[in-house]
Amino acid sequence: MTESEFYQLLSKYADVVVRVGLNLRKGQRLLLRGILDDAPLMRKVTERAYKAGAVYVEPIYTDEQIARIRFEHADPESITEVPDWIVTRYEEYYKRMDAELAISSYDPELLAGIDPDLIAMNRKALMQKMEPLRKYENTTNWCVVATATPAWAKKVFPNLPVKEAQEKLWEEIFASCRIYEADPVAAWNEHCAKLQRYRDYLNAQKFTALHYTGPGTDLTIGLPEKQQWQGAQTEFKNGITAVPNLPTEEVFTTPHAEKVNGTVKSTMPLNYGGVLIEDFSLAFENGRAVNVSAKKGEETLKKLIETDENASRLGEVALVPNSSPISQRKILFYNTLFDENASCHIAIGNSYRDTIVGGEDMTEEEFAACGGNKSLVHTDFMIGSDQLDIDGINPDGSHTPVFRAGEWAVNV
Amino acid sequence: MAPKKQHQELLKKYAEAVVKVGLNLRAGQRLIITNAIARGVPPAARRFVHEVTKAAYAAGARYVETIWGDEEMLRIRIRLQNAPSDSFGEYPKFHISAIMDMIQNGDALLSISANDPDALKGLDTERIGAMQKTHLENYKEVGAQVSRNAINWCVVAAASPAWAAKMFPDLKPGEAEEKLWQAIFETTRADQPDPVASWKEHIQNLKKRSGYLQAKKYSALHYRGPGTDFTLGLPNGHKWISAQALAENGVIFTANMPTEETFTLPDRHRAEGTVAATFPLSYGGSLIEDFNVTFENGRIIKVNAKKNEAILQQLVDTDEGSTRLGEVALVPASSPIAKRGHLFYNTLFDENASCHIAIGRAYRFTLTGGEELTDEEFIAAGGNVSLNHVDFMIGSPEMDIDGVTDDGTREPVMRSGEWAFDA
Repeated sequence: MTESEFYQLLSKYADVVVRVGLNLRKGQRLLLRGILDDAPLMRKVTERAYKAGAVYVEPIYTDEQIARIRFEHADPESITEVPDWIVTRYEEYYKRMDAELAISSYDPELLAGIDPDLIAMNRKALMQKMEPLRKYENTTNWCVVATATPAWAKKVFPNLPVKEAQEKLWEEIFASCRIYEADPVAAWNEHCAKLQRYRDYLNAQKFTALHYTGPGTDLTIGLPEKQQWQGAQTEFKNGITAVPNLPTEEVFTTPHAEKVNGTVKSTMPLNYGGVLIEDFSLAFENGRAVNVSAKKGEETLKKLIETDENASRLGEVALVPNSSPISQRKILFYNTLFDENASCHIAIGNSYRDTIVGGEDMTEEEFAACGGNKSLVHTDFMIGSDQLDIDGINPDGSHTPVFRAGEWAVNV
Repeated sequence: MAPKKQHQELLKKYAEAVVKVGLNLRAGQRLIITNAIARGVPPAARRFVHEVTKAAYAAGARYVETIWGDEEMLRIRIRLQNAPSDSFGEYPKFHISAIMDMIQNGDALLSISANDPDALKGLDTERIGAMQKTHLENYKEVGAQVSRNAINWCVVAAASPAWAAKMFPDLKPGEAEEKLWQAIFETTRADQPDPVASWKEHIQNLKKRSGYLQAKKYSALHYRGPGTDFTLGLPNGHKWISAQALAENGVIFTANMPTEETFTLPDRHRAEGTVAATFPLSYGGSLIEDFNVTFENGRIIKVNAKKNEAILQQLVDTDEGSTRLGEVALVPASSPIAKRGHLFYNTLFDENASCHIAIGRAYRFTLTGGEELTDEEFIAAGGNVSLNHVDFMIGSPEMDIDGVTDDGTREPVMRSGEWAFDA
């Protein structure tokens, strides 16, 4: 890839981000969040956004190295310090119904070797501070995308020199986001329509539960009566419909927080806040994870599910065929945005309000009574493989094959 | 080119001096690091920021946060913003609320300059002006707190490729940056075996100059030099300051590194004659060159500039206080920074190579009891209030300055750009 080829692709990518991912409207402001290494995409998106009539683009850069420096050099007693304005800067945007783009290109091993207790304390303090922002969920059009940063690229392609690794990771991102297509926006429209057909099928079936079987996995996930499957596009409260993840290959809803039983084995490592958790299993009883084990990062996993009362319960169940374009690349990305679109997954923690019919207007009690989960955390982990079968359990107790050998078993 | 390891070592010493001498950061304080002009610290300063963050935590900081600013984003906005022109009123409000949160809590503020002096070169001056006006209006409350030394604050610099290229256009990019770093390390005494001890000695020397001038209580200064014949009144109660100050949060700090100046406030009502700038002025991303300013009764009545006169006029037109002066500073032409013989295109350095004056706001702490006065009282006492505070350089080896006492007697303060008294 020459530099000029790269910038052409980056321009097309920024175009897809602004038109498909954000569906940015004339007159909106746009909040951009990324790390310093994300600057090339941040700038291209800013150009596109102003051309699309944005009245203001506000970039917020962070330097992830500074997070590590804090853990290494700060007084551990001070690690829970989170200033108030971290929250108010977002609130100003959400209140005005502005758009938000988050770029997720973190170094998967940023915090390797740091005391998991300190990390957990720090994350919990941050999440508690951010909790009041939950009420703005899906208020405004938001989107998460990635760029190929050196540290992340090196982790994905450890055998390549960093420049080549970065170039290769860019190619993967461009391919996953359909940037090589002659008309990327048209390709996205077609793709979204397909995901919506699966979503509509599942909404029509109203399964009472999904039953997962695979190596190390025998898990029944109860589904709420008012389950609402989502896929590709989201209709935001500011009236804009957009695609909040690029790439996206999933359809998802919330499990019933009290109706999960059995054991599930992860099929990919989980990167949680800069620490890798590998080869792990969770056993559930009446919705709660009662036993966890991991070959690596077990301590961090335990801390994760102990974050608060409901961090040991599930808040998302998502279906992705093993033949998804991202899965077919046979690459472990160590980044949820990609890995979750290569594999069926579930999430520990909070449920999205829009995964229960009418959930956005419910009180916390009403939402919980419907089976929704409330927690500070929401962490996806991968359980799909070409050996995974999933049955849908109908209200009359009969089973309908939904996945066989990791692929959709239904035609839509 | 200095070996990597040596550069890293100097960077570390520099960061420690900034935390210990510049900020004099106290255990338990929080620290916010930013840059007003670029709406955050230019990313080129990243490695230096890492060292400052480490040094701050080592000093017991409770929390250190850097706000980053990408000058390219400002350029993109000016070029491409395809929205109504009044949308230039939009501003990153959290930048202000973050700094104000820190100030109200008695925390510390560090500004790191690494800006491209030509950041906005060639762009629409009206749009630049609109954006700058919004910035000044939003930054007003921060400026007010800083100008009364509410907290320990400090301004320092880090090299960046664009700034280095402007300073050393004949060098290759890497070499230019290295040379600029070298200049920063030397002028901030980071290259000394014990930078902190060396700063203590330097601060004592500067205090002798400000002590002498304080005792004299001149009623005016008279400047003569090429293109300059200029009298500047000094108000009753003016305080000559150098290097250190006591902040309202009780911390003694050094607001600029480097610093070679002795300064106070002029009387906003008493400036007469014409003064010629001896250095270009970098203002809000534009370079104003070869200019002079004429005063009558303290007011600017005329500006001339060979380059970017429109930007200079915008600056003066910002508000009433921008037509008057708020600082007068004395620096010998033989200052270590002047002796380097090159321009920095950056006020932090250039103001320490030359006598200078500032258009706009006077620092409250340069008038006895100034912190306690209302704006009206401060103005009545001769102090200036404005959204701006912009230094420009007027010193040269051909500059003579007299101090005028209450009874009209003239005493030499500077001759041929050098101090004319012993202290």
